[in-house]
Amino acid sequence: MTIPLLICDDSNMARKQVNRSLPEGWDIDITFAANGLEGIEAIRKGKGEMVFLDLTMPEMDGYEVLKLVKEESHKSVIIVISADIQPEARERVIGLGALDFIKKPVNPEKLSGVLSKYGLL
Amino acid sequence: MSSAQVLSEDQRDCMQEIVNVAMGQAGDNLARYLETFIHLSVPKIRLVNSCEFIPEISRLVDGAEYISAVRQGFYPVQGTSQIRGEAIVVFGDSSFHDLADLLAYEGELSAQDEVELLLEVSNILNSACLSGLGEQMEIDLGFSPPSVIGQHVRVESIVTEEELSWSKALFVEIKYTLESKSFNCSLLLMMPGVAIQAVKEKLDHLLDGF
Repeated sequence: MTIPLLICDDSNMARKQVNRSLPEGWDIDITFAANGLEGIEAIRKGKGEMVFLDLTMPEMDGYEVLKLVKEESHKSVIIVISADIQPEARERVIGLGALDFIKKPVNPEKLSGVLSKYGLL
Repeated sequence: MSSAQVLSEDQRDCMQEIVNVAMGQAGDNLARYLETFIHLSVPKIRLVNSCEFIPEISRLVDGAEYISAVRQGFYPVQGTSQIRGEAIVVFGDSSFHDLADLLAYEGELSAQDEVELLLEVSNILNSACLSGLGEQMEIDLGFSPPSVIGQHVRVESIVTEEELSWSKALFVEIKYTLESKSFNCSLLLMMPGVAIQAVKEKLDHLLDGF
C-alpha cells in the first residue's frame, strides 16, 4: 500500500534533507508543504497519513498543526523534525500527539532509526 | 545596493536553515540557564546599509528607548575563509529587569552585577550559536572577548555611523522570547564587506552538495 507522506517545513533545504533521508524503496506518495497552513490543508486532503513536521514556521507553526490534527481527529502519524532541541519542546509535541521527535539536521540514520523503532518500515 | 551582493533565494533559504539549527542549540542552553521555555521564531536574514544600523537595532528591541548590548567578534581560526563578523546581543531595558527577576536576584543589581549578567547571557547565546554555525559551514570559528558596548543607553548612542567600518553588512537576526514574561533578547550576527561574498560562496558550496 502506497503511503501518502507529507513533508512540512518552511525551508526548501530542510524539505530536501528529509526527502534525501527517506529509506530507499519505501512505497510512498510525497507531498511538500512550506508552512503549517499548507500542511494542515494537505492533511485534510488525505495527503498526510504520515507527516514529517517542522515546528518553527511562518503562517502557522508545527504546534498549531498538531493541535488542529487532534481537534479534527485526523489519523496522521506525525514525527516532528526540529532544531528546537529544548526537552520541553519534545514533551510538548508528544503531549500534542506527535509520535516522536528528531533533532535537526536530519540524516538517513536518524530517520530510519525512528521509523524502525515503531515498526513503520 | 548592488545586486551582486544580494543573496539568491536558495542562498537565503540555506543560510536560514543553518541559522535555525544553530539558534536551536543556543536557545536550549538559554532555556537551561533560565530554567524556562524559550520561544524561537524564524530567523531573519538581509543586507543592511550602515545608515540602517540604528533603526535595525531599535526594531530588534521593539522600540525600547534604553538598551544594553554586548558585542563579540568571530573569525576563522585557520584557513583562508573571509567569513567573519560580530555577534551583538541586545536587551531592551525592561527585558533586562525581567532577566534579573528570572534569575531571582534580590534587590537592586549593582552595575558590576549587571555587567556580569550581560556577559554571561551573551556568552551562552554566542558560544552555542557560533559553534553551531561554524560546524555547519565547515569553519573553525574563534571568538574575541565580549565587551559591553552599552548599559542602559539610548539606542542611537551605542555606535555612530562613523564608527561602523563597513557600508553594507549581512544581518542575521535571531530573537528569543519567553512565554511567561515580556522578556526578549536578540542576537544579531553582522557580517560586513568581503564577508558577504565569502558567505555566499560557502552557501553555494553547501547547496552544491545537495
